[in-house]
Amino acid sequence: MRTKSIAVAATAVTGSLLLAACGGGGPASAGGKISDGKVVLGLLNDQSGVYKDLSGPNSKVAIQMAIDDYKKKYGDKAVAKDIEIVQADHQNKPDIANTKAQEMYDRDKADIILDVPTSSAALAVANQAKAKKKLYINIGAGSTALTGASCNKYTFHWAYDTAMLAAGTASAVVDQGGKNWSIVYPDYAFGQDMNKSFTAAIEKGGGKVQQSIATPFPNDNFATFITKAQSSKPDVIGTMAAGGDLVNFVKQFNQAGLQGKTKLAVGLMFITDIHNLGVDQFQGTQFTDAWYWNFDDQNRAWADRFKAKTNVRPSFAHAGNYSAALNYLEAVQAAGTDKADDVVKQLEGKKINDVFLRNGEVRAADHNVTHDVYLAKVKSKDQVKEDWDLEEIVKTIPAATAYAPPSGACKM
Amino acid sequence: MSQQLTQKVDVELPAQSVIPRARPALRWLMLAVGLVVVLALPWFVYPPVAMDIAAWALFAISVDLLLGYTGLLSFGHAAFWGASAYSTGLIAIKLGMPFPVAVVGGAVVAMLLAIPTGYLAVRRTGIYFAMVTLAFAQMLYFLANMWGDVTGGENGLQGIPKAFFGVELVETDAFYFYYAAIPIILIGVFIAWRIVNSPFGRVLVAIRDNPARARALGYDVERYKIMVFVLSAGLAGLAGGVFSISHGFASLQELVWTTSGKVVLVTVLGGIGTLWGGPIGAAVVVLLEDRLASSGFNGIGIITGTIFIVIVLAFRHGIWGTARNGLTSWLNRRRIKTGQRL
Repeated sequence: MRTKSIAVAATAVTGSLLLAACGGGGPASAGGKISDGKVVLGLLNDQSGVYKDLSGPNSKVAIQMAIDDYKKKYGDKAVAKDIEIVQADHQNKPDIANTKAQEMYDRDKADIILDVPTSSAALAVANQAKAKKKLYINIGAGSTALTGASCNKYTFHWAYDTAMLAAGTASAVVDQGGKNWSIVYPDYAFGQDMNKSFTAAIEKGGGKVQQSIATPFPNDNFATFITKAQSSKPDVIGTMAAGGDLVNFVKQFNQAGLQGKTKLAVGLMFITDIHNLGVDQFQGTQFTDAWYWNFDDQNRAWADRFKAKTNVRPSFAHAGNYSAALNYLEAVQAAGTDKADDVVKQLEGKKINDVFLRNGEVRAADHNVTHDVYLAKVKSKDQVKEDWDLEEIVKTIPAATAYAPPSGACKM
Repeated sequence: MSQQLTQKVDVELPAQSVIPRARPALRWLMLAVGLVVVLALPWFVYPPVAMDIAAWALFAISVDLLLGYTGLLSFGHAAFWGASAYSTGLIAIKLGMPFPVAVVGGAVVAMLLAIPTGYLAVRRTGIYFAMVTLAFAQMLYFLANMWGDVTGGENGLQGIPKAFFGVELVETDAFYFYYAAIPIILIGVFIAWRIVNSPFGRVLVAIRDNPARARALGYDVERYKIMVFVLSAGLAGLAGGVFSISHGFASLQELVWTTSGKVVLVTVLGGIGTLWGGPIGAAVVVLLEDRLASSGFNGIGIITGTIFIVIVLAFRHGIWGTARNGLTSWLNRRRIKTGQRL
C-alpha cells in the first residue's frame, strides 16, 4: 500500500514538473540598440597547446587594446559603452570549438567570435555563426574553404589563407631557381590544402613537384620523411607543418645535416616559432608573412604598446585580432547597433588601412579580407640587432596578386 | 523462497543491486528522484551540457552492461558511439529524416558493426578482448579519417540538422530539444534495465562469475556474449546519435581511443554493475569538464585522473556503489535497532 502511494506521488511530481518545463524556459530577448546592454567579444583559440604562443592568451591583450582605442576615439559618442571580452580554450579540436562557440553565443551572449586557429575548428565555428546568425571573424585558421564552399554571411576571413601563403613563398622560391621540390605536409585539412595550393603555385612558376609526402598529425619523428624527401635530390624541401610540428621538423632537418645543403621552404611560420627555436636554426628561410612588427614606425609603435603589456613582440595573429576587433567596433559604431545583419552590411566592401591591413578590403563576394602581405627572410645571427629582430622583409606582395580571386564556390 | 535465493546471490556479489530488491518502496522513490532530476536538469544546467550528460550516461550504461554484468572490458566502444554519430548525421543530412529516425538508424548501424566485431572478440577474454575491440575501433577511426568525402575527415561531419517534424522550437532551441531527445535516452536506459533484470541478464552474471560453470549448465557462452555485445553497441549507438544531433556535429573525436577510455573511466567512477553508476559518473565527469573548461583551467585530465585514482584505490565500487553500500549498512543497522524484519 505504502509502495503504491509513493509511486503515485512520484508520478504526480514528475508529471507536474514536465508540464512546468514545457510551459516556461526558453531564451529571453532584450530590446534596445545594443543587445543585453553590452557588446561581448568572444576570443576562442588555443590557450594551452601548440598554437598557444602564436595567438593564445596574448590575443586578449590585443583585443583589449582595440577596445581602449575605440573608447578613446569616440568617448561619449560611442554606441557601445559597455564592452566585454570572454575567452575559451578550444584545444585545437573541432568538436570542442563547436561546443564552445555555441556556448559563447548562448551563455556569454557573445556578439562576435574572434580568432579560432586550426582550420577544422574554424569551419565548425563558421557553422555555428551561420546557425546563430552572429558574427565570426577568423584570424588564426588558413583554410580557403572558409571563403569557398563553407562560406556564409556571418563569417569573415581576416589575416591569411593557404592560397596567399603559396602564392608568396612558392613563386618567390621558384623564381630564385628552386625548381625541383619535395613537399612534406601533415595529412589533415590544412596540410592537404597547403599541398594543393603550393603544387599549383610551383607549377605555375615553371617548377616541378617531385614528390608530396604526407605525415601523420601531430607528429614527433620526421626523420624518415626527411630522408625520403631528400632521396629525389630536390632543390627545395617544402614543409607545411605548423607550430610545434614545424619546430620539430626544422630541428630534425638541421640534425640531418641538410641546413645549407638543400633549401628549406616553410609554408606557414609565425614569428613566435622562430623565436622559440632560435634564429640560427631557420636562418635564410623564406616565407610569407601577413604582418611584421618592425616593418615601419606605425607597426613598431603598436608593437611597443603590446610589448609593454605582454613582454613579447606580437605575431601577425595578435595584430590581426586587434584589427578585426577594432573594425568590428567601428562597424557597430557606424551601424548604431550590434545587430549582426546591420554590422555585416557595414563591413562588406569596406576598404581599410590600419596598423594591420594595408590596402585592405573586405571582399563582399566571399568575405575574404585581402591586404598587402610580405615575403620575409629569417635573419642570420649577426644581423639581429635586438630581441625579436628576426625577419628581413624582402618585398611587399600587393593585395591584388597575393590573394586569389573569389572562387565561385561561395554562395552566401 | 525466490526472494531469499536472490538475496543470497547478492551477498556473494557485492556489485549486484541490494536495496531495490529488498525494499520496493525505496526503488520507486529512487526511480522518481532520478526522473525528476532528468527532467529538471536543463533548468539548472546549460541545456546542451545537460544533453551531453544524458548521452554519456547511456553510453556508460552500455559499457556497464558489458563490464559490470558480463565481465567484458571493451576498450573500443567509441567505435559504436562514433559510427552511430556519423551514421545518424549522414541520415539526417542526406535524407533529411527527423532526428529520432536518424538516431535509430545510427543505432542499427552500430549493431550491425558489432556483429562481426563481437564474433571475433568474444572468443577472447580479458586483455585480449580489450585489444580486439580497440583494434577494431582504431580501424574505424582511420577509415573515417581517410574517407573524407563522406565523413569530412579531420574537419568532421558538420551542419547536422535537428529536424523534428517542423517544430521550430525543438529545432533551434537547445532547451526544448532536450525534452524532445530525452525519451530516446530513457528508452535506452529502460532497455538496459530490462536486459539486466531478465533471465538473460542472470545468465550474463553467471557467465561473468564462472564461464565454465555456465557452459556446463548448457548455456552457449559465446552466443550470449555476442548478443549482449550487440545490444550494448546498440545502446552506445543511441547515445552517440543523440550526441551528434545535439551538437550538430560528428568529429573524429567520437571515434578516437581516448573516448573509449573516457567512457570506461566514467563507468568505473560511477560504479560498475549498478546501472545507476553510469549516469552519476557521467554527470560528475561532464559537469566537471564543463566547469573547469569555462573557468579557464587547463589541466582537466589531471583532475579527472586524480579523482579516478582516488576512487579506484579508496572506493572500489565507485561513487554509486560506495554510497549504496553505505546506505545499505545504515539501513540494516537501523532496522536491527528498531527490530524490523530484514
